[in-house]
Amino acid sequence: MRIVIAGAGDVGLHLAKLLSKEEQDIVLIDKDQRKLENLDANYNLMTLIGSPTSFSAIKESGAAHADLFIAVTPFETSNITACSIARYLGAKSTVARIDNYEFMTPKPLEFFKTIGVNHTIYPEYLAAQEIKESLKHTWVRHWFELHNGQIFLLGVKVGSTAKFIGQQLKEITRQNHFFHVSGIRRRYETIIPRGDDYIRENDILYLTATRDQLEQIRELCGKTAHKVKKVMIMGGSRIAVRLIDLASDDYRFKIIEMDPARCRWLADRVPTNVTIVQGDARDNDVLIDAGIEDTDAYISLTDSSEANILACLTAKEFGVKKTVAEVENIQFVSEAEALNIGTIINKKLLCSARIFQLLLDVDDSTSKCLALPDAEVAQIEVKPGSRILGKQVKDMRLSRDMTLAGLVRDGKGQLVSGTTQFQPGDQVVVFCLEGSLNQIEKLFS
Amino acid sequence: MRDIKNTRRFVNISMLMRIVGWLLMIEAAFMLIPLVTSIIYEEDDFTPFLFTVLVTFAAGESMTTLIKPRSKVMGKREGFLLTASVWVVFSFFGMIPFLIGRPQLNVSEAFFESMAGFTTTGASIINNIDNLSHGINIWRCLMQWIGGMGIILFTLAVLPALNSSSGVHMFNAEVTGITHDKLRPRVSSTAKQLWGIYLSLTVVLIYLLYLGPMDLFESICHAMSTMSTGGFSTRDGSIGAWNSLYVKSVITIFMFFGGMNFALIYRLAMGQGRTVVKNEIFRDYLLVIFASTALLMIVLVASPGHLLDRHDLIDPLFQTVSTLTSTGFLVTNFEHWGPFAMMLMIVLMFCGACAGSTTGGAKLDRVITAWKFLRNEIYRSIHPNIIKGVSISGKVLPADVVTKAIAFLGMYLCIIVIGALMLTALGLPFFDSVFSSFSCTGNTGLGAGITGYGGSYDMVSNTGKWILSGLMLTGRLEIFTVLTILTPAFWKR
Repeated sequence: MRIVIAGAGDVGLHLAKLLSKEEQDIVLIDKDQRKLENLDANYNLMTLIGSPTSFSAIKESGAAHADLFIAVTPFETSNITACSIARYLGAKSTVARIDNYEFMTPKPLEFFKTIGVNHTIYPEYLAAQEIKESLKHTWVRHWFELHNGQIFLLGVKVGSTAKFIGQQLKEITRQNHFFHVSGIRRRYETIIPRGDDYIRENDILYLTATRDQLEQIRELCGKTAHKVKKVMIMGGSRIAVRLIDLASDDYRFKIIEMDPARCRWLADRVPTNVTIVQGDARDNDVLIDAGIEDTDAYISLTDSSEANILACLTAKEFGVKKTVAEVENIQFVSEAEALNIGTIINKKLLCSARIFQLLLDVDDSTSKCLALPDAEVAQIEVKPGSRILGKQVKDMRLSRDMTLAGLVRDGKGQLVSGTTQFQPGDQVVVFCLEGSLNQIEKLFS
Repeated sequence: MRDIKNTRRFVNISMLMRIVGWLLMIEAAFMLIPLVTSIIYEEDDFTPFLFTVLVTFAAGESMTTLIKPRSKVMGKREGFLLTASVWVVFSFFGMIPFLIGRPQLNVSEAFFESMAGFTTTGASIINNIDNLSHGINIWRCLMQWIGGMGIILFTLAVLPALNSSSGVHMFNAEVTGITHDKLRPRVSSTAKQLWGIYLSLTVVLIYLLYLGPMDLFESICHAMSTMSTGGFSTRDGSIGAWNSLYVKSVITIFMFFGGMNFALIYRLAMGQGRTVVKNEIFRDYLLVIFASTALLMIVLVASPGHLLDRHDLIDPLFQTVSTLTSTGFLVTNFEHWGPFAMMLMIVLMFCGACAGSTTGGAKLDRVITAWKFLRNEIYRSIHPNIIKGVSISGKVLPADVVTKAIAFLGMYLCIIVIGALMLTALGLPFFDSVFSSFSCTGNTGLGAGITGYGGSYDMVSNTGKWILSGLMLTGRLEIFTVLTILTPAFWKR
């Protein structure tokens, strides 16, 4: 597929590198030649120097034949303009990064479609949503409800209390636990396990399960669920504001922010049941004053990944049960995961997951996507006539980089086993490693 | 994360060898063409060619099957090293037919001939080309044809495994020019487009030549050596042997195409004629050809005792295009054109045609960049406070691109001087040393013979041949690729 990306910021660069590894045709536009130089010399993609909102630059990028035009400059208005131009020139689909919740609601979305913006992407909103889920389910790292809770994908860290440490996957199946282990994140890589793989301590397991299996899984993992009420947020960033908008009815938030001006701005912006504390959250006295000791969850959302990671570790010392850290530096994500920080939020990964969804042409109303540093989860509908039909899973000779985890048929969730045969209209949950997008496309076309 | 582990290894020799193995198998496939030719013409060098094919294939096959690289990642270093070594390895296997076949050359001669082929220099040490077999002839021209567009580029087009970042590094190490234009986002589709253009132009040329006095075999050979701006011929008298205005005109036109930036030809084929006409380098290319032709015509007509004939119309143009595009075809009586013409040829040889083409030389793009930069500097000595950028086709070039172009020109001259120095040390006369150093670094291959020294490059000693082969390779890969490998920094972790 031909994909044009406008804007070589953090997200743009990440997407360009990732999608070029997925063997897509990538053209990256940016004004700054220095940002592009290195990418052009080292990655299998094309770069173009020009303003992302320039008509001629967008035309030259070949947007007319592009399957997807992604505008991810820091400026919302530029993104919308760029998409509008690209769509006018003939791009099949466009997606703009936005920074305004209003634009996610149905009416403005309708309007945006008329001016050529087919989809929007709002990283801060995606991040807030993920944090909200993680506060609800404290014993998991990742919690994904697919298709209205018919099927779940959980990321669970195997602690020393887990009952299946050292067992092979096939033994677990023999004990009549029929959830599907879709992936294992071990140290710095994600693997797709097979029956003879062992589960080790400190692995993060990605399990696909139906609703009735959830309790069983929690017990097996030796985890207890905590009820979260009081939440402390370090850094009054855009994600924090988004999160409060989403969940201020359910939790009691306390924001610790250093900048007095930002504090005053927050006071105007957030509902009155949110407490704002001006101070440095890296200072233990400030934390104790703010009541860290009886806080249920601690979320650090400052601009500095390092500070976020360390702040969460401090919070753990204070006995906070659940911590969430925003880690923007992808290299640090796995380090942070190894450090027992509960949930890691990364805007780039969330964006790329969303883009994946668009590439796989998924109906975005029901599906969700999960992004890991080197794997993706997607929910795809089986269309009539696709290659996946007519064969049992064990006969498909699937690549070892992907696994079919679960499916939703007629509104009912079920897991995929070796003898499953797909029907048109099934929603299939696919867990795949980096670089296998092409194979998925082939399978479902 | 996984990336860290895989890239932090020093030069990935095993993967590099494996790719060289694949490339050798491709070369073996190309060698089937002279093999088939010798079968068709029932010539006695069937056995040498069969032997070459088998040896090359066996070497390639064993390198790919026996070597099991732990990591598939190839970085910049591997890109440089692979590109440079492939050209050498190709020349080594490509010289086998000259060694064991009828020409009976020694190793230095055969390597020189083969390197002159792949780098499209077209300098030959074989004196009686008329007596060569058809197989050898087509192999010489085929080598040029492969080398013209680029060995690596061909591989990128056919090996899907290289359609990745490793492929991009190899592409950058081989493709000529200040900046490397990609036609398409994926490196393999860029390579396919370029080879597609190249192949179709060659086919058209074969047809056009076949319409003229040449037979099919000669048309194919000359089409290949013209499109690649190489300059090998199947006759001792080169193109002049046909004494035909038609042949000269057709070849002039296609040498001209060979000297154009292939990205522009692509644009032209896509129906974007306007961008081509507006392209400043292309205009300058035309201008240089026009000016030099005019000068040569004056020299030719004004030379004492010259008898006008119909070839005067085409010869100056033919010679200009042939030299500028580094093809190195020579008109029959060039030695009578006088010293000015000779000097002009040296200048043209230095310039070369557009970047991104099959030509050699320093490339017009760089010369124009440097020229404009110098003009600005002179202007600034009168108006010191004025800031002027170097702009080409209306776009201002970033300062580091200009610096790189000028550094290249400086280095290019250094290489030529060093080459000439070494040749004079071997006892070659002054002018011949300088001229052949120019000619080989620029991949033009105008024979030393035109200076009246000897018949052709066979007069150069064996050591001299190796030096010249090195110059050809350095010139073809535009210096940086070869020189970086020779620096200690390249081999330091």
